[in-house]
Amino acid sequence: MVNPRNTAVRRTARLFQLGAGLAGGYLAHQVQRPFLNAAVANDKRQALKRKQARKVREQLQDLRGPVMKLGQMLSMQTHFLGPELVEELSALQMHAPPMHPSLMRAQFKAAFGRYPNEVFRAFAEEPFAAASLGQVHWAVTKDGAEVAVKIQYPAMREAIESDFAALRTAGLAARLSGHLQDSVIEEVRRGILEETDYVKEAAHIEFFRKRLAPLPFIRVPRVSRELSCERVLTMSRVAGLRLQDFLQSNPSQSLRDKLGAALCRLFFFQLFRVGALHADPHPGNYLLAEDGSIGLVDFGCVKRLKPEVVRCYAQFWSREWAHDRKIYDEIIRVIFGSRVSPNEPRVRRCMNGIKAFYDEFHPLDGGTKPLELADARFMDGLAKLAKILIGNKFLSPEFVFLSRTESGLCNLLHILKARVATTQIVREWLPKSN
Amino acid sequence: MRSFNNVKTRSRKTRKTGSSRASAGKREQNKEHTKGRILEAALHFFREKGLEGTTTREISKRAGIAEGTLFNYFKTKEDLALYFFQKETEDLIRWFRSNKRLQKAPLPEKLFAVIHRQLEYLEPYEDFIGASFCRSLQPSSSLSPLSFESQEFRLKYLRFIRELLATAEENKEIPRVGELGAYAFGLFYLGIVAHWLQDTSRGKQKTLALLDRALSFGTQVLQRGKWEW
Repeated sequence: MVNPRNTAVRRTARLFQLGAGLAGGYLAHQVQRPFLNAAVANDKRQALKRKQARKVREQLQDLRGPVMKLGQMLSMQTHFLGPELVEELSALQMHAPPMHPSLMRAQFKAAFGRYPNEVFRAFAEEPFAAASLGQVHWAVTKDGAEVAVKIQYPAMREAIESDFAALRTAGLAARLSGHLQDSVIEEVRRGILEETDYVKEAAHIEFFRKRLAPLPFIRVPRVSRELSCERVLTMSRVAGLRLQDFLQSNPSQSLRDKLGAALCRLFFFQLFRVGALHADPHPGNYLLAEDGSIGLVDFGCVKRLKPEVVRCYAQFWSREWAHDRKIYDEIIRVIFGSRVSPNEPRVRRCMNGIKAFYDEFHPLDGGTKPLELADARFMDGLAKLAKILIGNKFLSPEFVFLSRTESGLCNLLHILKARVATTQIVREWLPKSN
Repeated sequence: MRSFNNVKTRSRKTRKTGSSRASAGKREQNKEHTKGRILEAALHFFREKGLEGTTTREISKRAGIAEGTLFNYFKTKEDLALYFFQKETEDLIRWFRSNKRLQKAPLPEKLFAVIHRQLEYLEPYEDFIGASFCRSLQPSSSLSPLSFESQEFRLKYLRFIRELLATAEENKEIPRVGELGAYAFGLFYLGIVAHWLQDTSRGKQKTLALLDRALSFGTQVLQRGKWEW
């Protein structure tokens, strides 16, 4: 009798193996170190890092699913990780091991009841992109429309549940010290689990297609409901190049700036006018075009924001809280909950850190001067802020996806080397009441 | 009833024309045709009432033959079940050999496709398969892996798998696994069927996931280790 838990056990074992493998590598390096001269040690360290980076990527790739998602999230944090790891991790963004055609066909039939070649006029068996929870194929419908069909890997929900059970155990130390809260893990789990429901994703796409209509430079696909179900999602093809391919075409600085401004406008418009965020900012989800427009794809992870959270975030920009005690208390209640006193030193440290960051990069009297996002100073500032917030247990499940999207955006603009007048753009959308 | 008469007339005719090789072939064909019709009728009831609940009277009535004639072809319901699995094996091998793309695919995909095709064949008769599975555990049953009757199609299946593995050995996809590889795969398949029978996930996708991961994992293990029997 084959035990269905086998796969769960194997995934957990793989996670630990990954950890143990890395620790083993470091230990061996530490033992050797005193005997090596400085130059050799440096070379060795580089080689070790490269080897480990590759190992991390290979193992994550094998696991598919949520752990790979975690890898993708990490790969967006270019500044916090070594360049070796980032390079390897970014390979995850588009290149999960695809389902072979037989598995893809079987999975399509399990989800849809018929084989792809019975449903479509033409269907490319090789995926054009493999995401963490599924893969995307080009197809032509019987009406002749060109579409992208996303097919989910089998039994993803179960894999996510068991990965998070493993994560809870692996993160026990961080949980005990209070640096990782169950409510935060739960929020991430909820977000990733939601990505397995393509019916919900179809609803998200339709919602954003309607609500983002005022932004003419944003293109959102159209869903074919009759060709979609819980694990298959069919939508119109969206033109544009992925960030890495786009950069290879050597875009002009003015085009970079234009796209950067468009990305910023998109972010703040969602935040202050829509009240919901496309919360998966990895570069593969933005298809950039030469006319400065952006195709937005993959709406699996959408975060609806509570009005008080949006108000709270707007305060980071307007900074009224610095001289209004009532607003300050309200912010602390929203972020830390009602049980934490606004006068606690760690709370003060967090808020001062946030204020210092915004004062430096988004000054209130900043005018229309664009922010040089290619400047390492900005990413350093962001890293410093992240360190203060994590160190002082700035934890709010409501902010998990908001800050993920924001730092993802900053990273995207950094890679794009765009110059964007962020302060001015924020003012366009910032709610007047603030 | 009419079709039953047809069969009889036809067999009478063949008897008249003598026993040349061609007519013997035709007789064999007619026999297969009738067997196929009986199986079809039997499966109809197996699907509705299971193996235990179905009577030979019902089967022969639906197939349009006399109950006595049914026994000429199949002594027991188990023999009928056995015939079903024989057909399944033949269908599988024919299907695989006609699929050009699959023959060039890597081993894990080939094996995945083989088992998936088998499960797909079994799918409409899940209850009946479950019952056969239990029966096959009794040593006296003709469905038992040890029974004389089941050897023929089992060997056919094992030879087919052996052939698949031998190609992979030649292509250096896996080290030499020999006969044991085919036996192990046969057991693996039975395990998968047991899992599949109990899988209540939608579209049985847990079985798909298990199959995919187990096969790629198994191939990786084979590739890493040294296996000589």
